[in-house]
Amino acid sequence: MGFLLSCLLRLLLWYLLTADSSAVNLLIGVALALLLPHAEGPRQPLGPLLRALWQALVAVPQAYGEALALIGGGREQERWLELPASAPSQRLVIFLEVLAITLTPFTLVLGLSRVDGRPIYRIHQLRPMPRHSRTAPKGTTPSSED
Amino acid sequence: MSPLLPAIQALSGHVSLLLLGAGLLLWFWGTWPLLEGGSYLGRLHKLSVSDTLGSALMLLGLLLRIPGQWPLLALALLGLIVWNTIFGYVLASCSLPPPHEPPRERTAPHRSDRSR
Repeated sequence: MGFLLSCLLRLLLWYLLTADSSAVNLLIGVALALLLPHAEGPRQPLGPLLRALWQALVAVPQAYGEALALIGGGREQERWLELPASAPSQRLVIFLEVLAITLTPFTLVLGLSRVDGRPIYRIHQLRPMPRHSRTAPKGTTPSSED
Repeated sequence: MSPLLPAIQALSGHVSLLLLGAGLLLWFWGTWPLLEGGSYLGRLHKLSVSDTLGSALMLLGLLLRIPGQWPLLALALLGLIVWNTIFGYVLASCSLPPPHEPPRERTAPHRSDRSR
């Protein structure tokens, strides 16, 4: 299924690049999509792939909401998080998950690592402080360091 | 010619201006923190607002202004969203030290040392 999605993406890019919907041009696009080298590896399951694709699409409007929250949010706090990731063998799913997390301005993926044998994303989070904690005494807010 | 067409064209022109202005606003908001202090990753979060989201709004504004060029603008929008985001990930990832870096040993002097 990853092969089919990869071919469709290549065909879409070819069509957008040439802006020509004639049959001959589309045939050239199909030939190129099939002939260009494909990544080798295990089969990509369809369910998690579609779920990750949906997450990446939903992340676009969510990103604008988070951008507005950052712009109007005042003081910010930084945190380091760890979130469970899909199996690293599902490369397309990992790519889409990283895209969805990093596209939203609150979160940045720093890397993929393993904790107790399970893959996790190391994530840096920046978000506006909750209003009730803005008046907290100095030293109670999470520190930030690079 | 439909009587609604001029009204739709005028509305699309106004929405286009609004999108271009909003994109410009996000550009400035996200670029300004680069000149200030603050953590590297914090600045990277804000830069993603300007270079990805602000530029995407501008491309949407251009799409309304020159709809005839939609394939190239859509390609630019897709490329912008995917590669800006992945570039942000690469920059964030490169800011960290490798997890299991072996201790560095100086095995050979630098060329400048040898010349002395």
